[in-house]
Amino acid sequence: MSQAASGYALAIDIGGTFTDVTLAHRASGRIWQIKVPTTPADPSQAFAQGIRRVLELAGIGAESIDGVFHGTTVATNAILERKGAVVGLITTEGCRYVLHIGRHDIAKDAYPYSWIRPERLVPPRRIREIPERLRADGTVECALDEAACTRALSELAPHKIESLAVCLLHSYANPVHEERVRALAASALPGVPCSISAEILPVFREYERTTATVLNAYVLPKVAGYHQRLEARLGEMAILAPLRIMKSNGGMYSARAAAQQPIHTALSGPAAAVVGAILVGETVGQRDVISIDVGGTSADICLSQGGQPAITGGGEISALPLNVPMVDVHTIGAGGGSIARIGANRSLTVGPQSAGAEPGPACYGRGGTEPTVTDANLVMGRSPAQLGRELSLDVALARRAILEAVAKPLGLSLEEAADGIVELLNNNMATAIRAVSVERGYDPRKFALVAGGGGGALHAARLAELLGIPLVVVPASAGLLSTLGLLATDLKTDFVQTVVQTSGAYDLEKLNATFASLERRAQAWFEAERVEPSTAMTVRTAGLRYVHQGYELTVRLDDAGASGRSSPLTDADVAALKARFHQEHERQYSWSSPSLAVELVNLGITAVGRLPKLTLSRRPKREELALPASSRTVYFGRAAGSIETPIYDFEALAPGWTVEGPAIVEQRFSTVLILPRHRASMDEYGNILMEVRQ
Amino acid sequence: MSTAAVDPIVIEIVKGALKACGDEMEAVMVRTSMSPFIREKGDHFSGLADRHARILYTTHDRSGPGMLETIFERYPPESMNPGDVYWVSDPYLLKGAISHTPDMCFIAPAFFGREIVGYSLCFGHFWDIGGSRPGSISPQATDIFQEGMSVPQVRIVDQGRLNDDLYRTILRNSRYPDMLEGDTRAMMAASRLGQTRMIELFERYGVQQVDAAFEALHRRSEHAVRKCIETNVRPGVYRFADYVDNDCVTDTSYRVEVEVAFDRDGVALVDCTGSDDQARGPINYLMHPDSCRMLFSRYLVSMDGTVHQNQGAYRAIGEVRLRSGSILQPVRPAPLGLRAHTLWRFANAVLGVFAQATQGKTPAGSPDYVIVIFNAVDAKPGEHFFCTDGIGAGQGARPYADGLDVIYVGTQKNYPIEFLESAYPMRVERYGIAPDSGGPGRYRGGVGVVRDYRIHAEKVVVATRMGNQQTPPWGVNGGRAGRSGRIVCNPGQPDERTVPGFAEGVMLKRGDLLRIVTCGGGGYGHPFEREPQRVLDDVLDGFVSREAAHSDYGVVLDETGLAVDEAATADERSALRPVAGMFDRGANFERLEAQRRRAGAAK
Repeated sequence: MSQAASGYALAIDIGGTFTDVTLAHRASGRIWQIKVPTTPADPSQAFAQGIRRVLELAGIGAESIDGVFHGTTVATNAILERKGAVVGLITTEGCRYVLHIGRHDIAKDAYPYSWIRPERLVPPRRIREIPERLRADGTVECALDEAACTRALSELAPHKIESLAVCLLHSYANPVHEERVRALAASALPGVPCSISAEILPVFREYERTTATVLNAYVLPKVAGYHQRLEARLGEMAILAPLRIMKSNGGMYSARAAAQQPIHTALSGPAAAVVGAILVGETVGQRDVISIDVGGTSADICLSQGGQPAITGGGEISALPLNVPMVDVHTIGAGGGSIARIGANRSLTVGPQSAGAEPGPACYGRGGTEPTVTDANLVMGRSPAQLGRELSLDVALARRAILEAVAKPLGLSLEEAADGIVELLNNNMATAIRAVSVERGYDPRKFALVAGGGGGALHAARLAELLGIPLVVVPASAGLLSTLGLLATDLKTDFVQTVVQTSGAYDLEKLNATFASLERRAQAWFEAERVEPSTAMTVRTAGLRYVHQGYELTVRLDDAGASGRSSPLTDADVAALKARFHQEHERQYSWSSPSLAVELVNLGITAVGRLPKLTLSRRPKREELALPASSRTVYFGRAAGSIETPIYDFEALAPGWTVEGPAIVEQRFSTVLILPRHRASMDEYGNILMEVRQ
Repeated sequence: MSTAAVDPIVIEIVKGALKACGDEMEAVMVRTSMSPFIREKGDHFSGLADRHARILYTTHDRSGPGMLETIFERYPPESMNPGDVYWVSDPYLLKGAISHTPDMCFIAPAFFGREIVGYSLCFGHFWDIGGSRPGSISPQATDIFQEGMSVPQVRIVDQGRLNDDLYRTILRNSRYPDMLEGDTRAMMAASRLGQTRMIELFERYGVQQVDAAFEALHRRSEHAVRKCIETNVRPGVYRFADYVDNDCVTDTSYRVEVEVAFDRDGVALVDCTGSDDQARGPINYLMHPDSCRMLFSRYLVSMDGTVHQNQGAYRAIGEVRLRSGSILQPVRPAPLGLRAHTLWRFANAVLGVFAQATQGKTPAGSPDYVIVIFNAVDAKPGEHFFCTDGIGAGQGARPYADGLDVIYVGTQKNYPIEFLESAYPMRVERYGIAPDSGGPGRYRGGVGVVRDYRIHAEKVVVATRMGNQQTPPWGVNGGRAGRSGRIVCNPGQPDERTVPGFAEGVMLKRGDLLRIVTCGGGGYGHPFEREPQRVLDDVLDGFVSREAAHSDYGVVLDETGLAVDEAATADERSALRPVAGMFDRGANFERLEAQRRRAGAAK
């Protein structure tokens, strides 16, 4: 069988608790899914175990696999837990303390009296300055002193550094000195990998660029080692298909490229869920979706428009700025395991402390006594007392925890307290949804809400009510949404070049030369990633702002009606770009002023290597009407009270099924809560669609 | 108003919504404004007030109250309409609610149905609003007219329609009208946004619930502040004084004094009348009584950590007594541009009072921020090339942790070197820390900065703003005072010269190097009690010199310099030198106090 004809792909998403594996036959859309417990000490173990089990389940041989796609949290966890490499940093003379000083501010919402600065990833003793200087336009003001540089590098050797970062002033405009330092480091510090800022984040603002570069160096040895282990595991299983990793920007890159620039995996898992939500949205004809992915300790929220996820260049991770392109995911530190507490002044909080898997929510009966969101949902009857075959929950323990810790202190009934806990989480999520929609000038009422993760479908209907969203989509495999995303994306990378050009004085020649050079970099990348010319494509972008502003808006040339492909830029194109910028500024920020001067800040090319995509399969129709499997009393808040609610088994439902709320559908890995007054139905893909009545 | 019926869950949701709204307003200002002051440095504020004009939430913790009352004097609430936006900046009309001219305040009432249910407010520090110097603030100013235009209460947007005649008049008075336009557009957009969000909150929960939640939040903050006082403070009367080095136009120092009477769970009286007469130069701080209360409550709220800084938070602070004609209550047209130096001395004096009332359970003293203003005089005709750079300093050590190194109090950001060099004719050749500047202590005071600028223009005129050269920030409970900063031109060269802390008209030419070294924070606890390993770490990372490790901390390093000589250190530390009194005020404080007493006696 030829590779193209076999068409099986594996998707593996590793989360904190579970490793999810989906095997898909892309053309037919047939899928097989497995969840195995994550093995934190060596995640590649669960990775291999999951693959073995899913191949058994499907009865497919290793030779039929032509692609392996992976969403990873190795880099994320190394940063969050501060368990990365010993990093050394080379910087321009005079800049040794740039990393320590940061932006000479304190965290938002903190007070200088009580704030403690987070420990820096590289202490000053492992930072060396070298004589060299570039100007802001990239020209050399003072040549690199190579002897001094070699000396500085050898001074770092006794510190047993495992990874080197290089960030020199203005290197975003010219990488020449950083590249030379890397060459010198290869002999002065043999075997130590080197990350240079001109490759990681070629954008002005030295603290943010240094931080991104240091973060890359910090996670590099761990990620590189991990990828080697993954490739070895795949080799043992005789899977020869290339291993590709999900990037934070929603695209893929090869495991080899990821080992060099691992920082682009900081949001690998959340990005996969966002792409999965887009895929699901398309099956119901919705290209504008807001996705929520509710897990045990956190909830991720993202907006996608026209089938593209929102991307930010101003994100952060673990209180550090990370300005590489990432899906604009808002993460709330609250999920099913989040603990509800009464603090000083009778204030109720939910999260960020989580009961985790151990001891887990009170209802797990493993010694947890503090009430969690899971306990609240259980007490109200919204989630089942039996989770699969393995886990039965203890309602009495959940009741006691909520009664003691929340209901009594606030003078509420048990149900009111449970509802309050869930309502607070829902409102926190609604605030995050507003942050990615209303704050960016998007009206959430024009979007569909796609619910994923173990807990998304329990909360989605209420979120939709709070935000006026008319439609909720719960995919057939809501609990494994991320793995669907891994099978539905392309190889993708972004190249950006700073070129400041003020209004009225555009140098078209220079702009075209810049695009040509970006185009060359894209071609080189296509070759490195072995992208067939027939599947390669590029999208041109420009960053614009009003003169004196500090932040630019990125406009796609094709959106602006300018030539999107490779034909040379014309005056008319620049005019179209400007017009589009005014429009976009008005939409996002509610004002624009055509009389103010507009400047072009950067040009960019997004290079895409199209991969074969999963086509979701249709669910067979059935003649007979599905009946509720059972019923139970569910609390729906003070106004609606307790209602005897029918419970449906998802496996028994078929396209065409409809129900008037309240109702509950129990899926294998998640629970769908349909509120009173809403109507739900199943479509031909097995999605449950909820029509939300305001 | 009864709060019995309010749902505790709604209170939490409203609290979260207020914060989210403030953040959102701020994001619009940062993303779309044009002054580097606002967009890079973050000198702006957004807030929300309830229907009684009481502040509910602010994104910055020292502004807000008092602005609305000023608007009402001209435009009472019953004269307002949906879609209105009001503008005011005159510090004297505002009675100090805004305390210098470049901070422009915008206010929008939120209508729910036909009634006003709240207000959104924001201000930003504008780049230039006219006056004697570019940037509108000059150490040489001797009256407020030299500090640019003052906008009285005006209705800039009337039911959604911009008052274009007025708008053009104001823009015409700036050296940078485009920037002023960008900034005012950003402010008006932010205030309208706050208005919209507030209305949405009322639509969702109804007037009764939201009003009740607002009231509950005020009460919760009040309760937190009172509890903080009750738990930590020994009732009694305490006094603290500090000095502003000079008023920029004379070399006389100015004394700020505060006397505070605490009762069981509140402050009965804040008496500021003992402070000096108003200054001729621009260091006068026109203090609104509520701003004074906020300076107390911001410290108390920071100790609690769970409540908002709102009007309830300073209900526990009683009468504020001010003396007209004093440096804390100057009379128009006294100049106000550099009031921050007096403001921060006052804020530190409040901490000094708390230190006495809590047996030293407070952070040590912190210095003022430092500002350098560059004017390129060889710019093309019609261009005024100027740059105002804010520089951080070390903060006071805490009873449980070191002071913060290099922070700009007021929580603002620095200009990246790469921004400065792309926009102005200069190079920043060094942006590092000032070793040994942090006051030694069991917990070390934060260190200050060294920032070197190389001039790349033919001629540049520089103005400087650096305080704390006479009286550095104090140490507490055995901790030593921080070390003062200095400004030097061409250090190590034959033409080396020292530049005064408050100077105007300093001429620099191409190739000159200006070095700014800023002050460190005070230390906490006796330095001999600091673990030798932490002293070694500070030496290895450059915060403390090897010599100071020995002389200040009694820690001796071995010959490699990489390890502590345990025996020699134990020997050194056995001669523990006790430190008398609660505070170490540095070398000059007692001399200044004695001079003051002599002058008083002579009168």
